[in-house]
Amino acid sequence: MSEDRYLTFALGKGRLANKTLELLESIGITCEEMKDKNSRKLIFTNEELKLRFFLAKGPDVPTYVEYGAADIGVVGRDTILEENRNVYEVLDLGFGKCRMCVCGPAAAGELLQHHERIRVASKYPHIAKDYFFNKKHQTVDIIKLNGSVELGPIVELSDVIVDIVETGSTLRENGLEVLEEVCPLSARMIVNPVSMQMERERIIKLVNQIREKLEESK
Amino acid sequence: MMKQLLHTPEGVRDIYGTEYARKVEVENRIHSVLSLYGYQDIQTPTFEFFDVFSKEIGTTPSRELYKFFDKENNTLVLRPDFTPSIARCAAKYFSEEKLPLRLCYAGNTFTNRSDLQGKLKESTQMGAELIGDCSVEADAEMISMVVQALLDTGLKRFQISIGQVEYFKGLCAEAGLDEETEMQLRACISGKNYFAAQELLVERRVQEPYMTRLLKVADMCGDMCSLTEARAMVNNDRSITAIDRLEKLYQVLSAYGVADYVSFDLGMLSKYNYYTGVIFKAYTYGVGDAVVKGGRYDKLLTQFGREAGAVGFCVLTDHILEALSRQKVELPVPEAPEVLHYTEETFQECLAQAKRIRGEGRPVVLTAATGGNR
Repeated sequence: MSEDRYLTFALGKGRLANKTLELLESIGITCEEMKDKNSRKLIFTNEELKLRFFLAKGPDVPTYVEYGAADIGVVGRDTILEENRNVYEVLDLGFGKCRMCVCGPAAAGELLQHHERIRVASKYPHIAKDYFFNKKHQTVDIIKLNGSVELGPIVELSDVIVDIVETGSTLRENGLEVLEEVCPLSARMIVNPVSMQMERERIIKLVNQIREKLEESK
Repeated sequence: MMKQLLHTPEGVRDIYGTEYARKVEVENRIHSVLSLYGYQDIQTPTFEFFDVFSKEIGTTPSRELYKFFDKENNTLVLRPDFTPSIARCAAKYFSEEKLPLRLCYAGNTFTNRSDLQGKLKESTQMGAELIGDCSVEADAEMISMVVQALLDTGLKRFQISIGQVEYFKGLCAEAGLDEETEMQLRACISGKNYFAAQELLVERRVQEPYMTRLLKVADMCGDMCSLTEARAMVNNDRSITAIDRLEKLYQVLSAYGVADYVSFDLGMLSKYNYYTGVIFKAYTYGVGDAVVKGGRYDKLLTQFGREAGAVGFCVLTDHILEALSRQKVELPVPEAPEVLHYTEETFQECLAQAKRIRGEGRPVVLTAATGGNR
């Protein structure tokens, strides 16, 4: 609708951001400023294409997008499910693949077969609650932890954990295993609903370009 | 203790000074558009019986309603929106001959949403309802009123997206989806969540060509051409009727001269069963959500024992103000009053002068030269 307005991207810090920039580069969208690792700038612009990029902590990306502070965001599906924000989820970018799982010592598998109350530790209390309440109909106590969730069953804080599993090596080293899979995860592109209406042409064009690129590399 | 006294609870706030002057100005401008179309003001109670806003009727989940009890232990609710109240009112007071009714309202609504930080729990809404008119001209009148109201507030760049739930429902029926799958698919498509929709359809073993067609609904937005494309994809009366209606609507909107502001989005599906036909939302820069929401709700009045089609919209005044300030649209604020300083000796004289100025219709403040501290 308007060429003078910047389209703003919020990218989840770390590996996701790098992968996203690689992908954007492959369709001809570059941001030289961002490659300078010594830069202390928080926001990077591509004047030619009228694009802006910034890095944010993963869980904050859906928030920036919901409020329209960013038009487009790239973040893991785990964050989208946990935050449950009002955003459009338009693309599966295919990288950052892993699984959300219920894990614990093998003996804990028995506890999941019945509807009895168990303790679940997780960095993702909403996802854990939704899974046990709405899918398994099991009553659980959720304990929110902020990291090293694997400790939960080891020090007997909880019976099981709900966490992201990539290779499973951390689990094995600590005598835990995957008991059930909650859902598959990967990086997603999200769009603010208002931007989707107001900047439809630019956004749809971008989404289609990326979609084609992804199909090619499949 | 002092802090408790000075602060407001989370989600509500004081509005004063220039900000409130701007709000009043915007409300006046929108109201004058509604008046020009012949809409009459109506006031309904701030709280009503729970049943008026219950699951069958309202659009707000029960857990987001502010509830309390009266002496007889009835559950009462602070209104989360106006439409159910207006429908109840229309069903109660107005006889068949008086239809169609044109009503408009303004006031505050309340929703208890603690998880959405930064969003207000008390917000101002203004809106209009046209009750007892099922015609496409009524739909167009609503949409052109929205365009006019937004233009009058000073917004220049905005867009109205129009959808029609019936198209999607017709397609679901054609594909033979059960009700549960339809509701889940509806949530996925209205969230433009293509992948969740695809997963769902694969899981429910939906056959081609319906799989592709249902997924396509999420992408179906744009101008009139998108309607032609949408028409080619379906083979049932319900969806075709929906498309016919939208095309007719576009013609009437062109006659109003507002067609440039509208676009179609068949993937815009309300989560609730409240809306039965055309639905629309207005978007502009600077706010993360729609600034106007509306649509046709032909079944709502039957909940109150009256058969009458209706169409309406509500303007989220706070969002409009946010958009105006983000887009740096100037609004004239009322002129500052003239100030007259009086002393004990000159009071009579100043008072006479103040009376004269007020008589001329200009504001004046009468204040003690000593500042009023004796």
